[in-house]
Order: sequence, then C-alpha cells, then structure tokens
Amino acid sequence: MEWLFLMVSIVAVFAAGMMLTRQNAVHSALFLIVNFGCVALLYLMLDAPFLAMVQVTVYTGAIMVLFLFVIMLLGAETTTDSSGRMRWLGWAGSLVAIALLLIFAFPLASDMLGDNSSESHDARASLRLINAVPGGDAQVFRVLEMDFEVPLSDEVAATVNLVGLGEDAAAAAIEAVRYNDERPASRRYTDLPAGDYTLTATVGDSSYESGDVYSANVSLAAESAYTVLLYQNADGLLDYTLLEDRIHAPSVGKMRLGLVNGVAGRQVSLVDVGQYTTIRSLCEDAACSSLLPHRVLIDQLPLGSQISIELDEGEYNLAFVDQDSAVLRILAGYKAERGVVETRVLAREPGVPGSQPAYRAAVYHAFAAPAFGSPEAIGQVLFIDYVLPVMLVGVLLLVALIGVIVLARPDALAQAERRRINRRRRVSRPLASVIAQQTGADALSGDYMPKLKPGDEPAD
Amino acid sequence: MNAIGTEPYIILSMVLFLMGALGVLIRRNAILLFMSVELMLNSANLALVAFAREWGQVDGHIFVFFVMTVAAAEVAIGLALIVNIFRERQSINIDDLQQMRG
Repeated sequence: MEWLFLMVSIVAVFAAGMMLTRQNAVHSALFLIVNFGCVALLYLMLDAPFLAMVQVTVYTGAIMVLFLFVIMLLGAETTTDSSGRMRWLGWAGSLVAIALLLIFAFPLASDMLGDNSSESHDARASLRLINAVPGGDAQVFRVLEMDFEVPLSDEVAATVNLVGLGEDAAAAAIEAVRYNDERPASRRYTDLPAGDYTLTATVGDSSYESGDVYSANVSLAAESAYTVLLYQNADGLLDYTLLEDRIHAPSVGKMRLGLVNGVAGRQVSLVDVGQYTTIRSLCEDAACSSLLPHRVLIDQLPLGSQISIELDEGEYNLAFVDQDSAVLRILAGYKAERGVVETRVLAREPGVPGSQPAYRAAVYHAFAAPAFGSPEAIGQVLFIDYVLPVMLVGVLLLVALIGVIVLARPDALAQAERRRINRRRRVSRPLASVIAQQTGADALSGDYMPKLKPGDEPAD
Repeated sequence: MNAIGTEPYIILSMVLFLMGALGVLIRRNAILLFMSVELMLNSANLALVAFAREWGQVDGHIFVFFVMTVAAAEVAIGLALIVNIFRERQSINIDDLQQMRG
C-alpha cells in the first residue's frame, strides 16, 4: 500500500511540475490530466470510489477537454510567457513556495515519523434506548433536571435523562444535544460526551414491586454508538443490555436478520420450520420440536443478548422457540429480501396478568450503514443534510450558464466598447457646442460635429 | 487496506497546492493560470477527502462535490472570457491586460 501511494504521489507531483514548466499549453493540459488521474487513484485509496469516478468524468472528462478545446480553438499552444520583466518572480515564488512547504509540512512530518498518535479531541458517543418491558406506556429515566424525549421502539415512548458521574461529566451532560424526536428512525441517537453514565428508570406500572427505580452504570466509549435494550429480567426487575449497533451489511444476495432476546426467563431459539405453518397446533406438547423437520438458525439466545444471521433470499416460516421447545411466536411467510438488514426484539406483550402471555417480535431499526464513500452514503447526506446548498449550487450553475451564453455572443465585447464610446460622445457634445458658440466656428471636426438641435444623436 | 494515515495525503495536497500557487505566480498564459487554479482546487479536494476518511464522515465528500461544481462553473465562465479577450487582442498573456491598472 505504501509503495502504491508513493508511486502515485510521485507521478502526481511530477505531472504537476511538468504542467508548470511546459511551454506548449497542450502539453501542460495533458500533464494536468495525468495529475487528475493520479488524484482519482488517491481518492480510490481513500475509500471514495464514487468521487474517484466523478473526478475522472467531470475533471478529466469535461473540464480538461474544455481546456484543450479552447487552447486549440485559439491556437494558443505556444503563447510564450516571456514578457521579459518579472523574470525574478519565478525564482522568488519558488523560494516562497518551498519555504511555506517546509514550514507547514515539518510539524506534520515530524508527527508522522514519531508515533505519538494524536489525542482524540472531542470524544463523543451516541446512545439510543429500546424498550422491551411490558407494561407502562412511559419509562422515565431521571437524573438531574434534564428531560428530553426519546421515543423508543414502535409503541413505547420514554423520557430519558442521562447524567455523568462526577462533576465534569455532569457538566458535559448538560450541554448534550437535546433530543429531537422528529429525526428519522436511524438517527434516534442522543449525542453525549464519552464517559461513565448512570441510567435510572422508574416504571410507570406498579407491577414491579421492588423494581420501581432501577439504575445502572453504563460506560460509553468514544466514537461508538450504543443501543440500550431495556428488559425485565427473571426476577421481574428492570435490566438493560448494550446492543451491537452497526450490523454488518449482508453478503451479496442475502439478508441479515438480527434477534434480540427481551423475554425474561427464556432462552430463545429461532428455527426455520419449513412448510409447517400450523406449528402451534402441532406442537402443544413440549417434546414435539424434535419431531419437526426444522433447521435451527439461532440456538438458545440468552436474555438480553443479540445475534445476527444471514438468510438467503426467499420465503420462510420462522418460529421463536424457548428452551422448553414452546413456541413463542411464529413469523409465517417471512420474506427475506436481499440486502435488507432487520433486527427484531422479542418481547412479551403487555397483557392481563395470569392470562396466556403473548409475545411480539418488534422490528427495531439497526441500520446497516452504507459503505463509507459509496454513492448511497453520499446521496443520503447530500439530499438530507445539504439540500439547500445543492439548490444554491444549482442556481450558481444556472448563472454560469447564462453568463457563458452572454459572453459567447459574437459581439459581446464590441457592444460594450461601442456603448462606452457613445457615452463619451454624449458627455463631450455640450462642451463641443459651447466651444462652437463661443468661437463661432467648428472647434471639432468629423465625428464630433455639433448639431444645433440638442438631443439629436448622430447615427452610429 | 488503510495502512496509510492521513498525514501523507495532507503533505501531498500541500505540495500540489503550492505548485498550483506557484503556477499562478510565474505563468503569464491565462489558460495555464486557470489550469494552475484547477490544480489548487484539486489539492484542496484531496485534503477534504483525506479528512473525511479520518473522521469517517462523508460530509467532506459532499464539499468536494460542491467544489467540483463551482470549478466547472468557473472554468466555463473563465474560458469564455479568455476566448473573448483573445478575440479582442489576439493575446492571452495576462501582462497585456492592463486596462484596469490604476
């Protein structure tokens, strides 16, 4: 990798140098194209394949071709630079450039050779909550007097407060970005300074006898995103787990299905039951799972943990089964589409105590981040965060277009010149007539002949 | 894959930028002047892309996009101007363009 970078950069600098020194403008343009190609290669090495392609098409394809076209149109290939004077400027400029380069590059280079990795300056972490606790509509996390709303999974809203341990962290938490629940689902994160936090929750539902207030310490590392899953543990208390947030993108032609277990006291397996869509009726007794021709996709997932698997494209009948082979939930006719990433949280439905518990496999959006530098990622940012600048650039291009059209009219400059001459005449005419009156003779001749009738302009 | 850090790219970008600035200073051909400006814009783009990778955010790429657009507009206008000037004076040596000298 190093040698490739070194080679490409040497070629780039060499091409730039040749561009500067060639007398023939066409050669300069060709060397500049080489330089742009090298820059495109560097973009590729910098994980920006889309920009590399744009570089090739726009810069070397459009702009440089325009340059070559103009050079050849004007026949300006060999316009010499030598105007004699200002010869010293070249040397002075080179000296200044080299001096500047040394000044700027020295700290960088010394930094690079010494292996002191620079400190992470503003370490921040992102946090998101998911609620798998049946009962109460609202979960309140309260520390300090700072409320911000965090809508959790599909149906449950919660108010969340976060606080840092210690003075500094608390101060930092106060300046945390206030959560705005109108952001799209993939951005339901709260940005926080990295560090240790205490999460506390009070459950609105009184069914948790001793678990009304629950607190836990969470340590958030810098530059990572966390999703906290809240669930009810085997003792009926609130518990939480940190989930892996960025799921790997699935392989080509597959989908990735993640599962989070939020059911207290159960170890959930995910099985593919083939054609047996009536599994629940088949399988009332505990031992029946061995009778079914099923394929275990996820085996015995403990409470609060997360796993993800890849599924081939197609339709599945999936069942969530606990450790006693009781079927908790069936997803019949589940369609696996390629490229999709989905994570499901299995949780108990809030229901009447004593009745048969129902379970739900709610989808929470763990996003597969589009690959860095891919057209998808760029497009998302471009048309979500930067819509207004895109519009403005469009307007700019339109203005440039109009400008070029105006300039391209054959007599664009000639007209301006004529207008200038006209204005001069208009100014000078009264003066000329004054002179003519005073002297009684034509002071000026030819074009500047004064007319007796004022305002009567000579035709051009 | 990412064996190269950000610093070499920044140094390279700096070198290219200074070469472009040098070109603006020492060349008198208006077209070459424009090409040098393009070189400078490109080196700035390279720095933006390098920093975008350093931070893992595509915003840098977006700005490169905008810079490319502005560069395209600038080249279109600039070359139209150069063509007009050449038509007027049969020369694109910028030392000949002294109308506006105070």
